[in-house]
Amino acid sequence: MILELDVLLFVILIVTAVLALKVRDLLAAVALLAAYSLFAALIFAGAVAVDVALVEAVLGAGVTGVLFIAAILTTSRRADVVDSSRRRWATLPVLAAFLALMIYASTGLPDKGDPEAPAHQGVAPVYLEDSLEDTETPNVVTALLADYRSQDTLGETLVIVTAALGAALVLRAREQEELG
Amino acid sequence: MTGAYPSEVVRTVGGLLSPFIAMFGLYIIAHGHYGPGGGFAGGVILAVGVILPRLTLESRIAFGSVPRELGPLAAGAGMLAFALTGLVAVLAGGAFLDYAAVEVGEIAASRLRYLGILVVEIAVGLAVFGAMVLVYDELAGSPVDG
Repeated sequence: MILELDVLLFVILIVTAVLALKVRDLLAAVALLAAYSLFAALIFAGAVAVDVALVEAVLGAGVTGVLFIAAILTTSRRADVVDSSRRRWATLPVLAAFLALMIYASTGLPDKGDPEAPAHQGVAPVYLEDSLEDTETPNVVTALLADYRSQDTLGETLVIVTAALGAALVLRAREQEELG
Repeated sequence: MTGAYPSEVVRTVGGLLSPFIAMFGLYIIAHGHYGPGGGFAGGVILAVGVILPRLTLESRIAFGSVPRELGPLAAGAGMLAFALTGLVAVLAGGAFLDYAAVEVGEIAASRLRYLGILVVEIAVGLAVFGAMVLVYDELAGSPVDG
């Protein structure tokens, strides 16, 4: 991890996120979101979370963009102008308070890679030390996801399949409604 | 959204690239033991290999090679394979999804868990692949040209 690089990536990340919200052309917003995901993937890769980076790059910068574009082509390319000036004054203090709370809470977090951190107590050292012997799998992440915590993965897969089926059913019902 | 793209360049590149993208997806699914990857990322890349022809090529080719029905079918089959893997372990006398409980000949317990991970990764890959293709197909609508 290089601090300057991380700071630069985070700045780009925030800029793309704000631009994606501001821009009226939805196609441009999708492109900005894809860029956002790509830089998020770079940050994950910088934190040596390669598995997460791969999924973020493939899903966020890849397929999500295609799905969004498909949605735009079947609906509308321009975002409606919403007058939110009055609402903005109500949400700003809430956002500021939330941000302050988050920054305050982050001061209590352990340092990155701290061996004394609570997350690295308990079962984590056992997984790290024994996973190669237990499962013959050099990639600890895979051993964790598909062996030690395979029930979590089963649930996750179920969520994805259920979400896709639900989306498909809603879309198909709408299509049939349009046909009459 | 579906149907042949007007540009010859786009059609050629799309047609040429998609089998390699799909193969890379299979590689990522199978390579989860040794490097980054596994079922989730691999399944998505495999789905991209199917979605790219639908975006660029004639519907006859794109939907002829991978029909619309394959999406929900793969999603269900992957989910079922995952759940059955867990049930097999239970029937063999172990805990749910405890691959080492299934005794196959002389294979060591760690090797069984290695193989169990592979089976589960393939199941997850199938499920994610199917889910992505299903969502894309429903969003993009029916093929326009024959």
